[in-house]
Amino acid sequence: MSRKIERLINLTIALLATKRYLTKSEIFKSVEGYEGSAETKERMFERDKDDLRSLGIEIEVGSFDPLFNDEAGYRIKQEKYQLDLGEITPTEISLLSLAAQAWQGASFDEAAQKALLKLSSMGVPSDSLSLPTSAHKVNDGGGDLPLITKAIAEQQLITFVYLDSQLDRQERKVVPVGLSSRSGFWYISGVDQEIQEIRTFRIDRIDGEITATKGPKDFELPQSFDPARVFDGDASQSFAIIDVRKGKGFSLRALASSSQSLGEWDQLKLPIYNLNTLASLVLWHGIDVHVQEPFELRELIVAHLEKLVNNHG
Amino acid sequence: MGKNFSAPLERTARLLDLVPYINAHQGIALKDLAAVFEVSNAQMVNDLTTLWMCGLPGYTPLELMDLDFESGYVSISNAPTLAKPRSVTFDEGVALILGLDLLRASIPIDRIDLLEKIDSLSARISAIINLSSTFSVIAPINQGVSAAIDEALSSRCTLEIEYHSVYRDEITERVVFPIEIVEIDGQQYLSSYCYSASDFRQFKLDRIQRAVVTHEIKTIPKDSSKNEKINSRLKVLKPNRQIAERFSKSDLKAGSEFVFQTYSQQWLERSILSSGDGVALITPPEIRASIAQLAQSMLDRYKVE
Repeated sequence: MSRKIERLINLTIALLATKRYLTKSEIFKSVEGYEGSAETKERMFERDKDDLRSLGIEIEVGSFDPLFNDEAGYRIKQEKYQLDLGEITPTEISLLSLAAQAWQGASFDEAAQKALLKLSSMGVPSDSLSLPTSAHKVNDGGGDLPLITKAIAEQQLITFVYLDSQLDRQERKVVPVGLSSRSGFWYISGVDQEIQEIRTFRIDRIDGEITATKGPKDFELPQSFDPARVFDGDASQSFAIIDVRKGKGFSLRALASSSQSLGEWDQLKLPIYNLNTLASLVLWHGIDVHVQEPFELRELIVAHLEKLVNNHG
Repeated sequence: MGKNFSAPLERTARLLDLVPYINAHQGIALKDLAAVFEVSNAQMVNDLTTLWMCGLPGYTPLELMDLDFESGYVSISNAPTLAKPRSVTFDEGVALILGLDLLRASIPIDRIDLLEKIDSLSARISAIINLSSTFSVIAPINQGVSAAIDEALSSRCTLEIEYHSVYRDEITERVVFPIEIVEIDGQQYLSSYCYSASDFRQFKLDRIQRAVVTHEIKTIPKDSSKNEKINSRLKVLKPNRQIAERFSKSDLKAGSEFVFQTYSQQWLERSILSSGDGVALITPPEIRASIAQLAQSMLDRYKVE
């Protein structure tokens, strides 16, 4: 086993050090460890190439004299092999280290630790004292973020069972395009294949595993998608007029598009995204909030209140 | 989570990463090096011995790497081809980019220098791993707030906060002594002693509107009381996701009953009101009556108009 490792390291060094492509015969002659029949060496080399590629090392194939139909040659470009972040300062190293430390105990922990090791191998000291912040932990709620980010990058199709607002389990097939986090929850946005529209899903509402498969061939990233606007909701056509007692109803105030003072009360204008969600939020606020318009929202609230009185009488 | 390489491949990767690490930490103690790479001392000696045999074609002493570790301290020379760390993999790059996003959310808004550095680093790493555009957004916790909390925690002093209490639907000013940041069900809270309430309280980080360090050293009173727990019994009428999440019940069936403990009567009343006809409170009777009364007075107002 040790011999194979030595051979892989020697091959890497030889392909990195060479200024031109090395042919297979040159490699077999000069790199230590290639022994046996021509066929054995050939097989060894093929496997070694695959192994190095699986470690993320790019081996370029080319011929060193394009005018002749030469035997193919191989090399590893230094600039592809090495971590090249350009000029990097101690402050930048500290920022990157904090970024990596944020994953402690979360799904990218292992990758982040490897990245941290590479950063500390750059020979640039860190300077964390100058930063006005300490490491904040990422909480991924147990979601498989590496699977999701890979699916976004490769435009794969992901399939999962999602708990809708009525607790029904529905299978969704989505080509993910964005990942976001707000208030400690993570969200995937993607093109729902059934309706061909962008939908956003909270990851902890996914029931069970997410599976990723090859995505649709003709997939195109929708032009309209802006990851910064995931939480803005769709352009709403209808508005509600809601009275909120002064010094109360902060959650509703945060959603209001305008507010007008009416003495003891303020009158808010709120976009309606979902009538049931809004009704529930209004009810939460009890006697400090009163709906003026629209009629359907008043009706819905009155119906709930009658049930509440009945259920608790 | 990462890929699980076979043992020889994992070792190859480790050896490739060892060279630049030793190069940047000449003279590191063997046991420290073993700890960094999470292997035993014996395995580290094994790894170094293998590396010693590697080098440029020719493999004379001139071409081999020069490793010195017999003294218990490790140094390396003559390894120019492997001296720089390997580039980051896709997962490593994504971990850094998402981590930078999170970091950006905690940097005070007036540190434009740092915010620019973060954006530039993020762009450089995106280029390395071929990530076409920014695909993630992390909504910030108020930057000033998290900086003040960090400072109060590290210097063990009090904090003046403006807090939006959703249970009580109020924004209040409080003086608190922060103890630690805790995570409950994926949400971050500042666990503190609150002088305004004369009790321990947990404040949800994203509901702290403003925070100022007061540099006042206060102590936590010895007789700090605990609120009384309310034991309630609820009946599920129409199950939905909001009820399931609010009461942390994964399995809700219409007609079933469950018990729930809370410290806040207001929270309980509001939760039941907002569920509408979803769930009903069975006990305690006084809270049950209070809900009926609340609902009736709201209803009266709608009926008047």
